[in-house]
Amino acid sequence: MTAVNLMLVIIVLSLLAYALLAGADFGGGGWDMLAGFGRDRSSAEDQRGLISASLGPVWEANHVWLIFVIVCTFSGFPSAFGDIATSLELPLALALVGIVLRGAAYVYRAYGEGASLPDRWWSRIFACASVLTPFMLGVSGGALATGKLRPGSSPLAPFQAPFTILAGLLAVVVTAFLAAVYLCYDASLHPDTQHLVDVFRRKAIYAAVASGAVVLVMLPFFYRDAPVVAARFTDRSLPLAAVSALCGFGSLLVLWKKKYVLARATAAIAVIGVLGGWAAAQYPDLLVGVYTAQAAAAAPSSLDTMLVAMCGGMLVVVPSFLYLLKVFTAPVIEEH
Amino acid sequence: MSGVDAARIETAFSLSFHILFAVFGVGMPWLLLYTEGKWLRSLKNGAGDRTWYALTRKWARVTAVLFAIGAVSGTVLSFEFGLLWPTFMATYGGAIGLLFTLEAFAFFLEAIFMGLYLYGWKRLSPRAHWLTLWPIAISGTLSTLFIVFANAWMNDPVGIGESKGKITADPWAVFSSSVGWSEVTHMFVAAMMCTGGAVAAVYAWGMLRGRRDRYHKLGLGVGLWTVLGLTPVQMFLGDWSARVVGATQPLKLAAMEGVYTTGSNVPLTILGYYDQSTHKIIGGIPIPDGLSLMMGFKTSTVIEGMDTATVADTPNSAVIHLAFDSMVGCGVLVFAVAGLAAATWFLRRRKGLTPRIPHTRFWLWSAIATGPASVIAMLGGWEVTEGGRQPWIVYRLMSVTDAATKSGGLGWSVVATIVIYVGLAAALLLILRKLATGAPPGLDAGAGPDIPSQAPPAAEEALA
Repeated sequence: MTAVNLMLVIIVLSLLAYALLAGADFGGGGWDMLAGFGRDRSSAEDQRGLISASLGPVWEANHVWLIFVIVCTFSGFPSAFGDIATSLELPLALALVGIVLRGAAYVYRAYGEGASLPDRWWSRIFACASVLTPFMLGVSGGALATGKLRPGSSPLAPFQAPFTILAGLLAVVVTAFLAAVYLCYDASLHPDTQHLVDVFRRKAIYAAVASGAVVLVMLPFFYRDAPVVAARFTDRSLPLAAVSALCGFGSLLVLWKKKYVLARATAAIAVIGVLGGWAAAQYPDLLVGVYTAQAAAAAPSSLDTMLVAMCGGMLVVVPSFLYLLKVFTAPVIEEH
Repeated sequence: MSGVDAARIETAFSLSFHILFAVFGVGMPWLLLYTEGKWLRSLKNGAGDRTWYALTRKWARVTAVLFAIGAVSGTVLSFEFGLLWPTFMATYGGAIGLLFTLEAFAFFLEAIFMGLYLYGWKRLSPRAHWLTLWPIAISGTLSTLFIVFANAWMNDPVGIGESKGKITADPWAVFSSSVGWSEVTHMFVAAMMCTGGAVAAVYAWGMLRGRRDRYHKLGLGVGLWTVLGLTPVQMFLGDWSARVVGATQPLKLAAMEGVYTTGSNVPLTILGYYDQSTHKIIGGIPIPDGLSLMMGFKTSTVIEGMDTATVADTPNSAVIHLAFDSMVGCGVLVFAVAGLAAATWFLRRRKGLTPRIPHTRFWLWSAIATGPASVIAMLGGWEVTEGGRQPWIVYRLMSVTDAATKSGGLGWSVVATIVIYVGLAAALLLILRKLATGAPPGLDAGAGPDIPSQAPPAAEEALA
């Protein structure tokens, strides 16, 4: 495998880690917003407490996967990075607003004791920002596939195809799905939160159905708005798409059977299938019609050094990260 | 507003905002290692020292908030490289990529162990919990090293080559640059001084308001010794930095001191305003031959002035000189406090008096002053580094104008950035004020060994 391809693999793996880990954190924020509505609203505060506790120790580490994706992209593919960033400037800037407000609102609520704004205001900001960020990142990913972005194109260009809007929507419902599935298991670990298992199980099933529905609506627009990538998708990614669909349906079944650990696996694989399928279909383009990975890559010597640094870095980071996840398998409720 | 102006304003604003939090992310873990270490050692004799424990817990909460804001504002910066400086990234992204990759790993470790530290009080043994601070402190320091090295590379772009039409950089060259090491050490010590000064200021303020308990005395002590102890080191490093700047970026040095005419016997000018049209400093206090003496230890040392370059290639000396004098002025102030403190310490030790630094109003106000002075000095120093490199983004290779985005819609993003950051900063100040409510109830308040609690009731109420 060439250094360029290896770099792409690292970027895609980091993106998957970000989607599966930080995605669920954002999805949790979405459920925080909806906790006050519908038949489960009586347990709204408990739901918010569990969501907050499941985020606490891990959200910052989960978030670093995104920084990693960005840093790898600009180090590995410098000539494309500037044009990708500027042609996506509006969705990326809005995603950043979401990232900043989500993080700030979370810690201000957790540590602020209402000194600046009442907790429920920070809750709202936290929730809205948690929906805004995946939406904008989904739009950005969709827009990269369309092949309509050009350096200097209108800032609104990423929003002008129904496909990209649907991609944003898909990101929102998928993160909500992941969060609900993860929270089912989290809730089952502690007697105080047992009663939330059913609440999140219901939410997970709704979100799974919604994700499937969005995908179905998206498909025709995918072929219309992103023809190049869609054609490659048919060629290469059908097995991944099939696995994803299978695991999507499987998740429903497993949730029905109340197997929450297994549900985490099926949900994760379903998401990996979709994102991986898109990544495979996007290859070898970074910005379809403008840059291929090969053309945008940094000088070979720079790439090689970076790959060596990454192997060394991952040897330290991955075990530490797994240790973090192990220590906080069960969420920390009221003990920090 | 032109693209380049908007990009410069937004970068300057988001960088300054980020640095204000990043310094605490670097400094606090080292202080926590000390305070929690004190508590850990006291655990051997039974219940442990509750005051050290209370201080540690309080500082951990503050660190959590500051670290989170530092993390998200750092994310903004990583996106801004592409959003605001696309041409810079396209050309040199591969060259500085390694440093940013290493920084990402350092930040990763910091975030992982910060999670373990902040939420692991009950899940980890006290010793394991204390140990998680080491990777946080070390990787925070390494983050400073990598990021500041990337900045130093922009000031002194070493090791650049070309291969198949792409810019390459020798990954090790940057680590052998004296610009890099002088900048990194100067910044790391500055971060520690800002942290120590801010801590000292908070506890000195509490004591001025009558909270003269052991909790405040210990907190004040840790902060004050950090900032005062490091000041002499910083003076030495600053002197080294100035020499390196003189050798590698003569125009930056000329702008720092407002030197227009190249020649020997160049004075050092304190304060004053550099007039761009007459090329003279108005209202400053010149020390004859000062700069020549400092740079070469003799009055005949020739200093390169701004007359060696066109006006367009010269940094704005009016701003740089002011920023430089703010940094040096604040640094000298803290240095004077440190000197006086050292003298007092020895004097009172000989007389057998405790505490070695008395908690009088004068000393408390001096301690308070070290906080803002360190922060102003640090920000002034960054203005000198960045503003003094103008008009270049990569010294003598790429100009800021060429590097900036051509996008026209940035005015809004500048306004949005400022509004959001100012709002978050205001909310944070309110939260920090709320957190600074003194020792937790139940802690043996006011039982200092030397001064009995003498807070008037009114003061106690005011802080409730």
